[in-house]
Amino acid sequence: MYRIRFHGRGGQGMKTASRILGAAFFLEGFEVQDAPRYGAERRGAPIFAFVRADRSPILERGVIPNPDLVMVADDTLVGMPQAGVLQGLNAHAVLAIHSTTPAGEWRQRLNTDARIVILPPLFDLLDAAQRVRVSAVIAGAAACLTGRVGRDTLSQAVRTELADLTNTVIKDNINKALQAYDEMNEFKGIAEPQPRTDTPLPTGWITLGLDPATLAAPAIHAAANSVQVRTGLWRTLRPVFDYSHCNRCNWVCGSFCPDGVVSADENGWPRIDYDHCKGCMVCVAQCPKHAIQGMPEGWAAQQTMPTPPSPDRKEAAP
Amino acid sequence: MSPKSQFSGMKDLPKTHLLAPGSAMCAGCGGLEAVREIYDVLGGKTVFVNAAGCMTLMSVYPYTPFRGSWLYTAMASAPAGAQGIRDALDILKSHDRIGEDEDLDVVVLTGDGSAYGMGLSSTSGAIDRDLDFLYVIYDNEGYGNTGQQTSAATPHGARTATATSGIGVAGRKKDLFSILAAHEPAYVATVIGAEPLDLARKVERAKTMSGPRFLIALSPCPTGWGFDPQLSVEIGKLAVKSGAWPLKEYVDGRLVHNRVPKPLVPVEEYLKRQGRFRHLFEPRKDEFTLMDIQAQIDAYWAGVMDHDGA
Ligand SMILES: Cc1ncc(C[n+]2csc(CCOP(=O)(O)OP(=O)(O)O)c2C)c(N)n1
Ligand code: SF4
Ligand code: SF4
Ligand code: SF4
Ligand SMILES: [Mg+2]
Repeated sequence: MYRIRFHGRGGQGMKTASRILGAAFFLEGFEVQDAPRYGAERRGAPIFAFVRADRSPILERGVIPNPDLVMVADDTLVGMPQAGVLQGLNAHAVLAIHSTTPAGEWRQRLNTDARIVILPPLFDLLDAAQRVRVSAVIAGAAACLTGRVGRDTLSQAVRTELADLTNTVIKDNINKALQAYDEMNEFKGIAEPQPRTDTPLPTGWITLGLDPATLAAPAIHAAANSVQVRTGLWRTLRPVFDYSHCNRCNWVCGSFCPDGVVSADENGWPRIDYDHCKGCMVCVAQCPKHAIQGMPEGWAAQQTMPTPPSPDRKEAAP
Repeated sequence: MSPKSQFSGMKDLPKTHLLAPGSAMCAGCGGLEAVREIYDVLGGKTVFVNAAGCMTLMSVYPYTPFRGSWLYTAMASAPAGAQGIRDALDILKSHDRIGEDEDLDVVVLTGDGSAYGMGLSSTSGAIDRDLDFLYVIYDNEGYGNTGQQTSAATPHGARTATATSGIGVAGRKKDLFSILAAHEPAYVATVIGAEPLDLARKVERAKTMSGPRFLIALSPCPTGWGFDPQLSVEIGKLAVKSGAWPLKEYVDGRLVHNRVPKPLVPVEEYLKRQGRFRHLFEPRKDEFTLMDIQAQIDAYWAGVMDHDGA
């Protein structure tokens, strides 16, 4: 049985990717199971979906703890323990990452025996209009890596799953899926199902990480304890202030931030609580002075964030 | 608006925020933005009664962004839940079990699915009983939490998960404001997170009143409406400027429009930024439906001019 897990962020189409691959396997005569993991499947939050495909009826249920193939749409999730990308990977497994970073570097960074394959991004991931096509790309690459799905079947599966969309959009998605398929050609079929004997039924279906007791069992009558949930992990773009352009109209960025994570200090300079900022970029879009910029999170995390100038700076009126 | 408002301009809006971050709403959620702005002014001495919907995920055990209590009810019965809490608090007060300073404001929070549909009869009953409560409706024009199916608040021409072809939903958005106002409650107002000053003044005003009070917040929803989260506020502002979302109040038995957009921005500007209306522009422009939507808005504002002489 093929066991395939898709990792991405809410809004990147991992559910659709799993459906496309599932449909493609089905068209090739397999028994198929595909499902997203429901829960906090909000836009930006780490999510996963999975596909099982076999020639005989599938009796296994639940999330896949021992995948043969893991597809990662968003490479910022790989190093994030909460996303669980590396869970259950062994030397048999293939880890395919949609990334500009070469496989060798990932191999050094990650403590995993899995075989690593890189799918170079076929378009600008930061461009929202392009992002919808990630599902087709990821499904197309996965189809090739299993070696069990032909190009025609893949096209047909994309067409079936995206039937609600316009013909132009469907064609475009089919092209992207095929492009990703061809991109993976040298690795065709490297993801193989584990022989049945090697896969005893997992004892724990879902392995949940252990949180410290203070986190796992907070007092339920505590007020405002949602601060312990770090929604900053959802972010792919980080809003960064350029205080030299900021005119301290903090009621603008402060009022419009949906999550209320922009507050003003005693001198009126705005500050962002990066532990909770979800990276929606509303503040960037609304700042009249263009004093906030969206920076890729991976890059921004390496930088020191600018601090507000001293209180007596003259040129900026409060 | 009342001259005594503590909010004379944008500068007076809260500089720090009371609703804790960390809740699971989507990035750019216009509903969360409105609820957070409302909470900033309302304060923490509140108990929230919440019917199933997106905002239920704000308080997922064991976490809560609120400073006070929260009660979860079925979709049809949040105002009934509010009645129970109000009565309990009143009994505790009358028996001197809690002091006046320990009293809480009871706030109902539901989506449009509850407010415009399933919960309407329990709301009507609560007004009949003159329940002292504030009802905050975040209206994302669909059953958002379950994947944006059509609700009674979905506007004409929008596609939803249950209206995937043709022009989408064919029909009119239910006029909940008028339905509520017809009950002659203490207060009804429409608000939107993208107009925080208007919103803050209305919350401030509702807070000073007693009896049934309503705030209906149009809530741009990146996930259900299909737009990039960063456009959330821009789309909200366009809803007001195009006249699609009139900012108004029913107060002291009178209807007042707080802002008459002049001239109206063509509604296309509002619609074309949203995926749920994309079929009206691509592959070919649906002039007929667009004119129809524009005509509805024009007729509404023509009626306002006649009525208010504004
Ligand atoms: C009686 C009942 N029917 C259906 C549901 C499933 N359900 C949960 S949330 C939801 C959508 C509610 O829509 P709305 O009130 O507009 O809130 P939103 O999800 O948009 O925030 C539905 C249908 C339910 N909880 N109870
Ligand atoms: S909106 Fe822009 S200019 Fe105004 S305080 Fe915020 S960052 Fe500074
Ligand atoms: S990107 Fe800006 S508006 Fe969005 S959550 Fe972060 S600080 Fe708030
Ligand atoms: S689906 Fe819409 S209303 Fe619900 S949390 Fe997401 S953005 Fe907000
Ligand atoms: Mg709704």
